[in-house]
Amino acid sequence: MRALSAKIWRSMPLRLAVLLVLLFSTVSLLSLAASYAVTRSAFEQAVRDDLAQDMAGFRAAPNASAVALLVEAESRDTDPGRLILSYIAPSGRIFGNGAIARDGEGYHLVSLRDGLAEIEGEYLALSSALYGGRLTIARSRAEVEALGTVFFNILWISLLPTVLIALSGGLVLARRSKRHVEVVRATLDDLTTGDLSARVTVGPRWSDDMVRIGETLNQMAAAQERSVATLRQVSSDIAHDLKTPVQRVSLQLDELAQEVDAESGAARLVDEARREVAGISAVFDSLLQLAQVEQGTLRETFQPVDLATLCRTLCEMYEPDAHEQDQTLVCDVPADVEILVSGERNLLGQMLANLIQNALRHAGQGARITVSLEDTDAIRLTVTDDGPGIPEAERTRVLERLYRLDRSRNTPGNGLGLSLVAAVARLHGAELTLGDADPGLQVSIVF
Amino acid sequence: MKLLVIEDDATTGTYIARGLREEGHTVDLVEDGREGLIQATSRVYDVLVVDRMLPKVDGLSLVKTLRGAGNRTPVLFLTAMGSVEDRIGGLNAGGDDYLVKPFAFGELSARVQALARRPQAVEQDTVLRAGDLTLDLLSRKVVRAGVEIDLLPREFALLEYLLRRKGRVQTRTMLLEGVWDISFDPMTNVVETHVSRLRAKVDKPFDTALIQTVRGAGYKIDA
Repeated sequence: MRALSAKIWRSMPLRLAVLLVLLFSTVSLLSLAASYAVTRSAFEQAVRDDLAQDMAGFRAAPNASAVALLVEAESRDTDPGRLILSYIAPSGRIFGNGAIARDGEGYHLVSLRDGLAEIEGEYLALSSALYGGRLTIARSRAEVEALGTVFFNILWISLLPTVLIALSGGLVLARRSKRHVEVVRATLDDLTTGDLSARVTVGPRWSDDMVRIGETLNQMAAAQERSVATLRQVSSDIAHDLKTPVQRVSLQLDELAQEVDAESGAARLVDEARREVAGISAVFDSLLQLAQVEQGTLRETFQPVDLATLCRTLCEMYEPDAHEQDQTLVCDVPADVEILVSGERNLLGQMLANLIQNALRHAGQGARITVSLEDTDAIRLTVTDDGPGIPEAERTRVLERLYRLDRSRNTPGNGLGLSLVAAVARLHGAELTLGDADPGLQVSIVF
Repeated sequence: MKLLVIEDDATTGTYIARGLREEGHTVDLVEDGREGLIQATSRVYDVLVVDRMLPKVDGLSLVKTLRGAGNRTPVLFLTAMGSVEDRIGGLNAGGDDYLVKPFAFGELSARVQALARRPQAVEQDTVLRAGDLTLDLLSRKVVRAGVEIDLLPREFALLEYLLRRKGRVQTRTMLLEGVWDISFDPMTNVVETHVSRLRAKVDKPFDTALIQTVRGAGYKIDA
């Protein structure tokens, strides 16, 4: 969960949304605070003005007893919670609905109505000497205080939906852009693993920049596909066009062989030349076959192939070859079971033949070569030998066309065998691994 | 036999035609697909040897057209394209066999022979014979000059295959296809190794060799 939220937080749209929410909230807060301050001071000013006006009204009275009468009359129906009028007459008598009392703890407002009950709350007061007495008018600040609550509510009501909408919008955008990025990433993955026909399908709701990235990626892939296709076509054409002259040479050598004495030195030369021609055409065929396997179109003709029978046939086929080199070829394949994969039988056979052939050639005299096939959670075909193996640094390079290890330069082979193995494995969606059999090489193919 | 070779490369065509004539066949040679179609429909041939890439009418459509018109003459395709897909395409179009360039003449000759005899290739005998050797398909026993020979299953299959095609050359690739059901290149001389093992049991202990090597082509057991 934490990993997921950390991942989502790294998404650009969500970060933008959160930043915007923060910015918006700060601005709202500042502007509301400013208008609160202005309104509040305007309110207080209005209260002060009211007080001044009240005071002026009482000053208009002619003498102290008239003030006392006015105060008494006006305060009778006035809630001291709202407005307190208090006149201390020159005689010391207090008129009004409240009074300011003083004790050891400080000043208190007390009601003159309900038996000197203390009045809570804040008041704004104006006090003035009048006709030998002192008139105090206090207006409650409750309304001003209420203003704060009102502003706080405004802030809350306006900000909360904004924050919620922005955050969930950001989340949705983040998810969507994540999906779109995922589409682009998957396409790039396909392209790098060799499927050059992979393209980004741009959705109708994609953002413009993602659409541009997708389109550029598609153009790039198309260009790469074209150049690879051209390259393949050219190499196929070359192999194809060279085959006709090689064919002529081959037939001419056949005819020559009929004319020379079978036991003569000339016959040996002719035989050697025929073998060379066969070698040349084998390289052509391998190159053409590689080009075709890499195109991937053969998948359309895939059929169930029994790997168990194929392994047994090939083991039995190469057994005499192994025997001649003092090698042991072990076929570790479950008996009487079919192990089926969807594929092209000849290519799978060629793949296995190349692997066994490689082991026979490179593992050396007396080596032990094991072909094993298991069908547990996955179908795993392995060819293991106890020869010198392949140094780890070179294990990927040997899969390249025409690449050969230095020490193998003098053994037969054209450096295309393992390339074809890799291409056939890829065509069948199988995973090829060259590992260390300690000592020796273990090639495993997992379907 | 009467053969028609349709091959646009003049040199290759001439060599093939000359070689086949030397083997005693009557050979017509044409260099494009249209001419080939005309020849193939106006005469009766035992086997057609057709290059896949031909000017005017290409090999594939030529054979499709013939098959569409009910002509069942066996066809051997020659092609520079050796891939599985091409092979399947050729056989689907109505070709009977497929030979990838460059090929040795012996291979071509052996395959032409095999094609011409294909319809008669069904033999009902349960005992195959050659000289003083008998192979019993039911008891799976091989006896030569009164001595029973112990063969491994694949050696038995190889001997049976050669015996069933007595007198005809069987090339390395034909044996791979017929005995091992393999139509890919095993990249090594496995066939030679297996034949020499068979020889060690069937021929070596006896005075005469039954299995003959045909240089540049393959093996055969004389009729």
